[in-house]
Amino acid sequence: MNFVDSNTDPWETVETGAEPGADVRAEADAARVAGPAPAPHRLLTLDQWKAVRATWPAALPVGVMVDNTVDVGELAVDLSRLTLVVLQFPKWVDGRAYSQARLLRARHRYAGEIRATGEVLADMLPLLQRTGFDAVLLRGDQSVATARRALGFFADGHYQGDVVEPRPLFLRERRPEDARVDARESATAPAPA
Amino acid sequence: MYRYTEFDRHFVHQRAAQFRDQLQRHLAGELPDDDFRALRLQNGWYVQRHAPMLRVAVPYGELSAKQLRALARIARELDGRPDGPYAGRGGGFGHFTTRQNCQFNWIALGDAADAMDLLADADMHGIQTSGNCIRNITSDSLAGVAVDEIVDPRPYCEILRQWSTLHPEFAFLPRKFKLAVSGAVEDRAAIAWHDIGLQLKKNEAGEVGFEVLVGGGMGRTPVIGTVIREFLPWQQILVFIEAIVRVYNRYGRRDNLYKSRIKILVKAEGPKFIDAVEAEFTAILERDVDGSAQLLTDADFERIESHFVLVPEGVVPETEPYVDRIAPQTAHGPAYGRWLERNVHPHRLPGYRAVTLSLKRAGQPPGDASADQMDGAADLADRFSLGELRVSHEQNLVLPWVRVGDLEELFETARAGGFATPNIGTLTDMIACPGGDLCALANARSIPIAAAITERFDDLAELRDIGDIDLHISGCINSCGHHHSGHIGILGVDKDGREWYQVSLGGADGSTLSGAAVAGKVIGPSFAADEVPDVIEAVIDTYRARRDGAAERFIDTVRRIGLEPFKAAAQTARHATAVPA
Repeated sequence: MNFVDSNTDPWETVETGAEPGADVRAEADAARVAGPAPAPHRLLTLDQWKAVRATWPAALPVGVMVDNTVDVGELAVDLSRLTLVVLQFPKWVDGRAYSQARLLRARHRYAGEIRATGEVLADMLPLLQRTGFDAVLLRGDQSVATARRALGFFADGHYQGDVVEPRPLFLRERRPEDARVDARESATAPAPA
Repeated sequence: MYRYTEFDRHFVHQRAAQFRDQLQRHLAGELPDDDFRALRLQNGWYVQRHAPMLRVAVPYGELSAKQLRALARIARELDGRPDGPYAGRGGGFGHFTTRQNCQFNWIALGDAADAMDLLADADMHGIQTSGNCIRNITSDSLAGVAVDEIVDPRPYCEILRQWSTLHPEFAFLPRKFKLAVSGAVEDRAAIAWHDIGLQLKKNEAGEVGFEVLVGGGMGRTPVIGTVIREFLPWQQILVFIEAIVRVYNRYGRRDNLYKSRIKILVKAEGPKFIDAVEAEFTAILERDVDGSAQLLTDADFERIESHFVLVPEGVVPETEPYVDRIAPQTAHGPAYGRWLERNVHPHRLPGYRAVTLSLKRAGQPPGDASADQMDGAADLADRFSLGELRVSHEQNLVLPWVRVGDLEELFETARAGGFATPNIGTLTDMIACPGGDLCALANARSIPIAAAITERFDDLAELRDIGDIDLHISGCINSCGHHHSGHIGILGVDKDGREWYQVSLGGADGSTLSGAAVAGKVIGPSFAADEVPDVIEAVIDTYRARRDGAAERFIDTVRRIGLEPFKAAAQTARHATAVPA
C-alpha cells in the first residue's frame, strides 16, 4: 500500500471551472473548450478526460478522478491508457468506491494505481486493500503508523475471496481429489433469467 | 451445531484484538466518536439511552450450553458490575431478540474489549450485529428437527455467514441488510420481511435450490419481499447474493435515512432492479477474475457440513413402529397438560420432541434472562438436549433434542427454574423490543406495556381459550418488536413529549397460521399507555364474542369480520381523561 504524501505527490489537477483572477480565466476558458493541455502527471476529472481522450498522447501518463456515483464500466475502453484512477470517499461510511475498485480490478483487469481520496481513515485500510486499492491519501488527521497496523490483523486471511486473494476459504481448502467436482462448474453456469 | 474450525477460532480472536486496538485509541482520545461509531457498531456496540449496549451474534440461532454459560458470565461479571459506572442502575441479564441475538445493556465501554475476548473464547462474537452491513443471518429455530423440513438450512446459513463476515466490499452499505433462511414448509423465520429472504426447496429432480425474495422490511414503510428467482440452484447462491448487494450498494439511496433500505430501491425501480441484478449476476460469472470461484460444489458443501454435528452424538431414535408413551396430562396438574400442548413440539425423529423454554413470564420483560437463569437453561440443555439450544425468533429458548421419556422430568425441572410457563404461541408469548427504558431510539416504553398485558392475562385457562395469537410490541417505528407482523401490533409513538400507542390488527409474519405476510392495519388514533391493556382486552373480548366456534383463531376472525367491530370495541376502552392524539 502506497501512502501518498500530498507534498511530494507529482499528480496535479487542472482547474477548468470559473476562476477568480482574470489572467487565469482566459487560460481556464481555453482549457474548458479544448480540454486541459497535455502534460505529465495530469490528474483530470472524468469530464476533462472525455474532452481530451481523442487527442491525448499515448505515451503520456494520465490520471482520472471518478465520483463514486460513476459506473466504472464507462472507463473500460480507456483503462489501458490510465496510469491512475482516483476514487472518492465523500464520507468514510459511504462504501460505493469499494465496489468501483473491485470492479476495476476483477472485471476490467485494470492494472494501474487505484487511489482512495476524501475521508480516508486508517481503519479503512483492510477494506481498501482487499477491494483493490493500492494507494491512499489519508485524511489529514490520520496516522500512517496506525493505518499500517490496521493492515496487520487477520494474517490468516478471510472467508470470502477478494482482489488480493480471489479464492474464498472453501476453495483454498479444496483438496486435490476435489478437482473432479471443479469440472462440474460449467454445469452450474448461470441460467438465463 | 456448527463446530468452529481453527480458522474460525483464530478469526474471532483477531477480530477481538482489532476491536481492542480501536477501543484503546478511542479511549485515549485518538479516535473521535464520529469515527469510532461505525467501527464499534460493526462489533455490536451501540451507545444507548443510559449505557452502551452489546449485541452478541447467535448465528442462525444455534447456541451451545457452554456458549450460554459464557453469556451468563458476561451478564454476571460485566453487565452492571458493582464496581463499575452503572452499579445499582441495572444489569445482570441478557435479552434475546427477534433476530436470535443476545443483548446486554449495562456493560461499561471500558470493559468492551474484555467482553469480546470472553466471547471469542466461547466461539462467539458481535461481528455485524449492527451497522450498515450484512447482519447476522437468521433461520428456523427448529432447523434440523422440524417434521416439515424440506432441507436442513444450517449448512447453507453457515456458507452465507462465512461469505458475509467482513466482506470488504459490503461493509458500508446504504443501510442495514438482513438475511433470513427457511428450509421448511412452514416459515418460522419471517423471510418475506427481510432484505433477502431465502426459501430452500427441491425441484422435481430432487435438486436443492432457493426461492429468493428481495426487498422486504419493516420500519416506516412496511414492504413484503418480492420473488426475484423462483428456483436458484444452491451452487450459485453466493454469486446471486453478491449481485443483489452490489446493485444495492451502488444504487441504494444514501441521501435519506428513511429511504435507504433495499425495499425502497426495489419498489422504486421494479423490474429494472431485477434486470440489473440478473445482468450483474451474469457479468460476475462471465467476466470477473474471481466470479466462478464462488460457485459451490458438492465437495465444498460436504466440507462445510462435516464441521456440523447435525444430530448430536447420543441421539437414538426409536425404531418404527413406535408409539409415544407420554404420561397422562393430569399427572402433574393442569399445567403439565397445557405445557405439553403449547411448549412441546413435534420432532422429525421418533421418540423425540423439541421443547420451548418460555422467556415470557410475569415480572420479567419478554426475552430477558438473568445470569442465573441463563446458567439454569444451560443446565437444562446439558441434561435434556445434549448441550444444544436454539434462540427463537419469538424470543424464547428451544431445546431441540428432548427424549419423550424425559418430558415429565424436564417439565418439573423447567418449572422450578421458571421456564415452563405454558404460553407458547399465546397472547402472553409476545414479542417486544427493549423500548424506551433502555433504547435511545425508542419513542415510548415497551416493557411496562408488555408487563401490564401479561398481568391482565395471567389466567392460563383464559389464555388457552384465546388460543394462538401473535402480539408484537415496538417502542418506535424502527419496528424491532415487529409490530407490523403481529395479529395485534402495538407501536409506541411520541407526541408532545408523551408516550402514546398505536394499535394495529391483522398483520402476519408469513406462517401458515398467520397467512401470507402482510402489515397490520391501524385501528384508530393512538391510545394512552394506561388504556392499552383495556384496548387489548376489548379486542380479545370482541374476538371471543364473535368467533365462529372455539376453533376459529383470532387472526381468522379478524379477517372474516373485518376491523370495524374491533375498532368500535377499542374506542370504548378510551378513558374519559384520554384525549385521542
